[in-house]
Amino acid sequence: MGVFVFLPLVLPLTAWPVARLAEQRLHPRTATVLLTVVAGVLAVCSTVCLALLMVVGTAQLPGNPLPDGWSDREVREAVPYDEVAGRVAIPVLIAVLVACSRMLWVHWRVRRDAGRALAGLGNSPVAVLPDERPYAYALPSGRGRANRVVVSTAMVACLEGPERRALFAHERAHLACRHHRFLLAVQVAARANPFLRPLRTAVAYTTERWADEDAAKEVGSRRVMARAVARAALVSRGAPASTLAHFAVAGPVPRRVAALLEPAPAVRRWPSVFSTAGLAVWTAAAGATCSALSSANAAFTLFVVLKAATPL
Amino acid sequence: MSERERRFRRGQGELEAQVLAALGEAPGPVDAAWVRARLGGELAYTTVITILTRLLAKEAVTREKSGRAFVWSSAADEAGLAALRMRRVLDGESDREAVLASFVTSLPPGDERLLRELLERAEEPED
Repeated sequence: MGVFVFLPLVLPLTAWPVARLAEQRLHPRTATVLLTVVAGVLAVCSTVCLALLMVVGTAQLPGNPLPDGWSDREVREAVPYDEVAGRVAIPVLIAVLVACSRMLWVHWRVRRDAGRALAGLGNSPVAVLPDERPYAYALPSGRGRANRVVVSTAMVACLEGPERRALFAHERAHLACRHHRFLLAVQVAARANPFLRPLRTAVAYTTERWADEDAAKEVGSRRVMARAVARAALVSRGAPASTLAHFAVAGPVPRRVAALLEPAPAVRRWPSVFSTAGLAVWTAAAGATCSALSSANAAFTLFVVLKAATPL
Repeated sequence: MSERERRFRRGQGELEAQVLAALGEAPGPVDAAWVRARLGGELAYTTVITILTRLLAKEAVTREKSGRAFVWSSAADEAGLAALRMRRVLDGESDREAVLASFVTSLPPGDERLLRELLERAEEPED
């Protein structure tokens, strides 16, 4: 399998251009689906290769439970730099598995706790809670609980009638399109391979844009939607910025408002290969395919080598 | 954990809501025995006290000394209680942004000015 086993670990870099360009050049729905699928494929392949390296590395350790034949020279020669790569792969794979499980656990717990917090309110699809802190969240259904939109009175108070409708339409769009699944997928992927983090940020943005577009269509005015986003953000601005990423670049909220003040994005199938966005899309697609082929090749080679090395 | 205890744990939110609803219907400050009777007398006395104490910690009820026992009265309705619990979920989880898609995220200082300009544009009459 040679150097191919290392390729899926760095191929997520091929998705960086598309993560950068998709949010402006593609329809938010297309961008969300594309980026999530690419992130998922790249994350699975990178983890598979890490696992293969770990098997080879573990077989070198004294006292390991694997068959003795797996530490033969023939097996070691299948992986370049097997000594270092194998040893490094063990803690890295453990860290990846811990981080991914933790993400799934946090996701499950927040949804459970939020569902419990609202248990006393019956089954109405909208919960308006008396709170002077402005917030609005979409809580997906689960375990006998229906989809629910949670809004604080402070958030409702800062918006006028049509803007309130836009806010609720936005949250309902999140729920109807099951955006939490895309977000969970890219978050787990970003923990499987840190190179996928830009895709997580991009999908967090494109799902918001997707909900903005759907809601703007429902209320029949892009300006009303833009005003709702801008007013809500100005009221919620008290929270300190948690990232250092916004260096001279406009943050996600102004970009959303600006996008809503432009005409609606066209729903094109695929951009032409000869445009920048098209090139970025095809680079990411090629990267994901390459990654899948490399990891399949590496898995198959290692399977054959290990089978030959296992005494029957 | 016994079956009964598990049911109690699962139903905590509902029980708190029930106790609060009972207190809301009370003619004035009442003692825990009154609340227990109001809920049908199925819960143990200690359970009622536990729930009332938990509600007190959430500032959803108040209590005052009357003779040797405490009398309780409601300080928040069911929506208020849900808001208190929701706030605890939001405060307690540093990764909540990762799970719950928030309508808007926090604004860095430079964005605020930009956003005000955009809002002015959005407020112009539609052509």
